[in-house]
Amino acid sequence: MTDGLVVLDRVSKRYGNIQALDNVSFSIGRGEIFGYIGPNGAGKTTTIRIMVGLLRDFEGAVSIGDHPIADKGGDVQRMLGYLPQDVAFQEWRTVDHALTTFGRLNGLGKEELALRIPEVLALVGLPEERHRKIVHLSGGMVQKLGLAQALLHSPPLIVLDEPLAGLDPASRYQVKNIIRELSRKGTTVFFSSHILSDVQDVATRIGILSWGRLGLVGTVEELKAYFGIEKDIEVFLSKDSGRWKELESIEGVKSIEQTAPNRLFVRLEKDADMDEATHKLIHGLLSVGCQIRSFYPASPSLEQLYIRYVGGEHP
Amino acid sequence: MSLTLLFKDELKGFYKSKIMIFLWVGLPVVVLLFHLITLDTGPIPFSALIAILLASLGGTLASVMITVSIVNERKGHVYDLFFVRPVRRMDILIAKYFAVYVCVTIAALLALTIGFAYDYGTGGAPEMFLEGTLESFVISLSMLAVYTAVGVLIGVASPSVLVGVILIIYGGNQLSAVPMLLPVVFGTSSYFPLAFILGVVTTIILLTLAIIVFNRKKL
Repeated sequence: MTDGLVVLDRVSKRYGNIQALDNVSFSIGRGEIFGYIGPNGAGKTTTIRIMVGLLRDFEGAVSIGDHPIADKGGDVQRMLGYLPQDVAFQEWRTVDHALTTFGRLNGLGKEELALRIPEVLALVGLPEERHRKIVHLSGGMVQKLGLAQALLHSPPLIVLDEPLAGLDPASRYQVKNIIRELSRKGTTVFFSSHILSDVQDVATRIGILSWGRLGLVGTVEELKAYFGIEKDIEVFLSKDSGRWKELESIEGVKSIEQTAPNRLFVRLEKDADMDEATHKLIHGLLSVGCQIRSFYPASPSLEQLYIRYVGGEHP
Repeated sequence: MSLTLLFKDELKGFYKSKIMIFLWVGLPVVVLLFHLITLDTGPIPFSALIAILLASLGGTLASVMITVSIVNERKGHVYDLFFVRPVRRMDILIAKYFAVYVCVTIAALLALTIGFAYDYGTGGAPEMFLEGTLESFVISLSMLAVYTAVGVLIGVASPSVLVGVILIIYGGNQLSAVPMLLPVVFGTSSYFPLAFILGVVTTIILLTLAIIVFNRKKL
């Protein structure tokens, strides 16, 4: 727990009678892209606000680059860039003015800003908007400006709360590429999202938060292994006799469900012999009058894993 | 460093959002309109009347301006992007306080200049109106300072803009009258310096309270 750039150690937070976070611990290494997912009200934003120092009354410890988050010297703040969920700027500011102010507050000089502002605006796709008033920007553009201010001082850690929400598909693609590029250059990215396919696309590691508890942390492959997902089989039938339910008695088969017409999802027992069960299943399907079009181990999306987890399914 | 930067930033904000223009043109115009309506002010020089008028009119403007600004920015989570940077929370409030105070003071000075010009143009000798008016003006400035500080405190504590404005109407007038009324109550002979000192002390107390609330508040 001490070798990460970001370390959360047994962090708990209560709002009155509500336990928003309960002993949440994880660490994130340099250059990692950590996706943080969980249902509404799970505590994602609370975790993030604690991580960036906006919430100060919590139990446990948070450090960034070996500095406790409560340090007042300014070193911690200079190490992080933050995009809030509903990023907001004073209405009178232009894009350029907002970036200049935030850059100056982060200690950037005039010369650095003259280079960095066009750079980050080009990166997020807002080079033409530099002198526009923020109040005249669309919601998606404001979101991108929020990302630009987080990147401006080139911090080693970027914390993004729902960075892809409200963006059109092209912008989401662009932001995901920015996140990957940042990681490639050694920047650590922590982000929360409800768009699980996007999290699966970019995150090198994922944490699933449920009711204030961090249940699972790992790569998508590790999460699949946790659920024993490799032992699921998807079958497409060219002819469905409707008798496939009889095959649930085959040794090693846990359940068979029809997920769509002519499409079956076979879940095997955790300790089942995959080859043996597959062999029996194919013979069984043919013997009950079904014809098989395709047959392969299922590779579920992060969304399916997530639904299983928050639905209370734990191996 | 951040205080100076934030102060300049706030001033730029008032300029860009045209608040400065409305203040600097509006306040003198209102004062002139007031004169057109009342016309005969008796033995009181017009400039002295302006100096007194500025305390309540300018004070209400200042406190409403600052309360609305702080409540809106708090509610909109605008401060999040400041708090995650090496900025002291109190600097945000102090910068805003001085920006509003400077703006309103300039507007008051412009209005007062019009008053002086009018009194001079209508044949008044400067020694007749200058001294009394300047004393009234300084007391008005100290009341403006208190009014603005009340605005800051209500801004950080109020749950909404509407509640904030109501609280200003309820409490702003009363608190800002402290520097003017207390010396009268005490019956002191040195009214002018005491009023000025009381204004400064009340302002410091109110701003300190506002900073404590702002530091503790979950924004």
